Amino acid sequence: MGPLAAISIAIVLLAGARADEPLHKQIDRQIAAGLKDYNKVASPMASDAEFLRRVSLDLTGRIPPASEVRTFLADTSTDKRIQLIDKLLASPEYARRMEEYFDVVLMDRRRDAKVPGTEWQTFLRTAFAANKPYDELVREILSSDGADPKTRPAAKFFLDRDLEPTIVTRDISRLFLGQNLQCAQCHDHPIVDDYKQSHFYGIQAFINRTFLFPTVQDAKAVIAEKAEGEVSFISVFDPKKVSMTTAPAVPGRKPIGDPKFDKGKEYAVAPAKNVKPVPAYSRLAKLAAAITAAENVAFRRAAANRLWAMMMGRGLVHPLDFDHSANPPSHPELMTLLADEFAKHKYDVKWLLREIALSKTYQRSSEVTPRTQDVAEDRYAVAILKPLSPEQLGYSMTQATGLTDVYRADLAKNLTEPALQAKLAPHLGPFVRFYGTRPGEPEGDFVSTLDQTLFVKHGDQLRTLITPRPGGLVDRAGKLTEPSSVVEELFLTVYGRLPADEERREIGEVLRTTANRKAALNDIVWAMLASAEFRFNH
Amino acid sequence: MERCEYACGTNDHRIDRRLFLGSAAAGLAGFAGFNARASELAAAQKRMLVIFLSGGVSQLETWDPKPNTDTGGPFRAIPTSVPGVHISELLPLAAKRMHRLTLVRGINTAEDEHGRGATIMLTGRRTEPGIQYPQVGAVAAKLLTTSTQELPGHVQITPGGGSGFNKDDAAFLGPKFASVTLADGKPPADLLRPAVLTSDADREREALRQKLNAKFAQSRKSAQTEAYTESFEQAAKVVAKANAFDASREDPKAADRYGRHDFGRHMLLARRLLEQGVSFVKVSHTNYDTHHENFDFHIEQLGEFDRPFSMLLDDLADRGMLESTLVVVMSEFGRTPKINDRYGRDHWSKAWSVAMAGCGLKAGAVVGKTNANGTAVTEREVNGGHLFHTYFKALGLDPTKNFHPAGRPIPIADPKASAIAEILA
Repeated sequence: MGPLAAISIAIVLLAGARADEPLHKQIDRQIAAGLKDYNKVASPMASDAEFLRRVSLDLTGRIPPASEVRTFLADTSTDKRIQLIDKLLASPEYARRMEEYFDVVLMDRRRDAKVPGTEWQTFLRTAFAANKPYDELVREILSSDGADPKTRPAAKFFLDRDLEPTIVTRDISRLFLGQNLQCAQCHDHPIVDDYKQSHFYGIQAFINRTFLFPTVQDAKAVIAEKAEGEVSFISVFDPKKVSMTTAPAVPGRKPIGDPKFDKGKEYAVAPAKNVKPVPAYSRLAKLAAAITAAENVAFRRAAANRLWAMMMGRGLVHPLDFDHSANPPSHPELMTLLADEFAKHKYDVKWLLREIALSKTYQRSSEVTPRTQDVAEDRYAVAILKPLSPEQLGYSMTQATGLTDVYRADLAKNLTEPALQAKLAPHLGPFVRFYGTRPGEPEGDFVSTLDQTLFVKHGDQLRTLITPRPGGLVDRAGKLTEPSSVVEELFLTVYGRLPADEERREIGEVLRTTANRKAALNDIVWAMLASAEFRFNH
Repeated sequence: MERCEYACGTNDHRIDRRLFLGSAAAGLAGFAGFNARASELAAAQKRMLVIFLSGGVSQLETWDPKPNTDTGGPFRAIPTSVPGVHISELLPLAAKRMHRLTLVRGINTAEDEHGRGATIMLTGRRTEPGIQYPQVGAVAAKLLTTSTQELPGHVQITPGGGSGFNKDDAAFLGPKFASVTLADGKPPADLLRPAVLTSDADREREALRQKLNAKFAQSRKSAQTEAYTESFEQAAKVVAKANAFDASREDPKAADRYGRHDFGRHMLLARRLLEQGVSFVKVSHTNYDTHHENFDFHIEQLGEFDRPFSMLLDDLADRGMLESTLVVVMSEFGRTPKINDRYGRDHWSKAWSVAMAGCGLKAGAVVGKTNANGTAVTEREVNGGHLFHTYFKALGLDPTKNFHPAGRPIPIADPKASAIAEILA
């Protein structure tokens, strides 16, 4: 690069975002600015096969069928990645994937209590299919009292937490503000200066007057509210035990004072036995707007950061619920840019995911090179390996073994996403049971447990999936005679890529020398399904 | 997640590996040397056994009898191998082993509901909204299990229900330390290689899997992919040791000594697992919830309990394992001194007892006292928190240290309580 070019790049960097520059280009520029010689150091672009598998898993929750791999690899159009991204975002599988992802994010795999899971899932899926603005979705979740059957599913966030004030406060802060205030419940956060006890109770004050009516045990309970009651808190570190209070407030924003009512006018419907009271002024009704307000920057940061993390394997703010000044984003300007642009585009989820997917940063290979091996993960010099979620793993196993294709063929002209889903759903159960976090527990670090491994090694579910069935993988591959073609079919179907020459030779040799080809095929498919290449989105 | 300060065994692990590699290179003699070293380590390793008498055993029919009082019931108190200490005549064999036991008679857990009582006894804390604490078995597995051990560190043997791997009881310590349930002593189905999978096929496909992983790891490797591939090696080791779960391989004479009934068999299995290096075993015996006919039920239940409990104490002592194994006999709570009109006793958490033995304790000691008819603690009152501190102190650990789930410091044991120093050796 000549000196003039270097200067002009510096000028562009200093000038910041150009108004007409698409977000994905700005992402790449910001990421490149985050590491010296980034463009020299970073891994090359992912191959077509790598990209297809990655983006299919991220946007539709499953690996691509072999037929799609073949078509995509053969496609010579220069904009085929853009076409693919648009096709996936428009597919019904996209809505299913987002439903499942956000169900886990918002409900932590709780067992269904007051709102049936299917109604809640339909609510989420419909929202993502219609590309409902994310802030609107959150407002619906934070404002439904569960009384109207039409909006009751949205109230699952509150209702299935039994409206338990500590849990609801923690989860509002964690999920919608990117700030886990749990440790600020009993005192200002011991490690994080930004997190104050008053922040925790400021959020809790929005809900401290609410209760479940008629009782918390009633499966049909709805959210009711009283007209009085204040939060009070004492720091356990305060020797004088001074009791404090706060009006409802989003951290860093002005508390929202209650209007004054004449005595006797506090209620629209006064409390009485077996009567659901309605206060003249509802604190809860202020929550949704306060959280999603434009001046509450934390909301859009948390929202954009979560979608970034879903695609990229880690948050710009990391962990996702630890946004504070002593834990700055890996790329502070990019975080601000993503958040602001997301808000400017009216929280258009598909738009943001599309821009991320179009970026070179997203499309980089996950193959480590000598240049990238010592670069920190948060520089994005190489794509991050993401363990498949229980759902992704389950759908990918049914796809890889050919069961999904068998169902597709069975459904023939009645093939729709919901019809296929109905057939696949029963196979998903064990994957969620073995790989999901325990109910009510937020997703934690990746673990590989003994029961999961034994499930793969010995469990009859996986064995049944691999078992030859007409149209299934082992059956299909078994009909090919030339070992090299067999290996190709296996690799395209399970790994979504062509085998390397060495693999073609080695696995081909196994097939050539075996006395029992069907058994050998079973073993090869199992080994591929149990391998790290399958377990991770790379 | 920040590592617990104990981060057990990381150094040991490194030393062992080197020893192992060095020895292997030195040939057979070296290999024998490694075994000697491994058994030394096993002796130094501490273990814990909890016998959970489900439903709430009566302290008056066990460790704190009050004969000839309005609450005492029909049974006598008998002398034990420790002069001056008497326990119920329903435990004649345990009485002869009082010199190995340590009694805590002043327990007040102030919680008469089964679930919450069990939470206090198993986590050392009362139920709190918004946080779940790990059970004693998960804590023991986390702090005691060294990386050289191949079997799961946290095992519970239940009378019935289903076998399987649990997720809940380790709370923030993570599923690695959650319990494996052996219902009626049987291991989870997937632990054993199914008959349809021949050992040849198993070996071949494993070799293939390793080859594929090696290829992938050439250019794509992370702590996560490593953990994933290693989990297969660990699983293979557990499967290879599956006989550890099979108590029928024990000497039939031992089975006769323990008693040919479910609880006898479960206790023998517990001994086998502890010998194989499992850090924590819990055996449940049911059911002591004697709202009706308390006395008949206790004759029956304790008749079943006394022998295998005593035999296990003898065996641990004979094998030199009692010094490194902490044994605790607990319940959710005790039973009411007042006898109800169905000859039953109801739930009573205000004044009851726990028996312990082994590792780090003063053998034969008794701490705490209740009043003449057992309705209240009069001396050295303790709760679940004190007991929890005591267990881990006895196991040679510092229970005032913290775990750090998500960076948040959480003391191992309730900071409002402390260990019962009088009974610690």
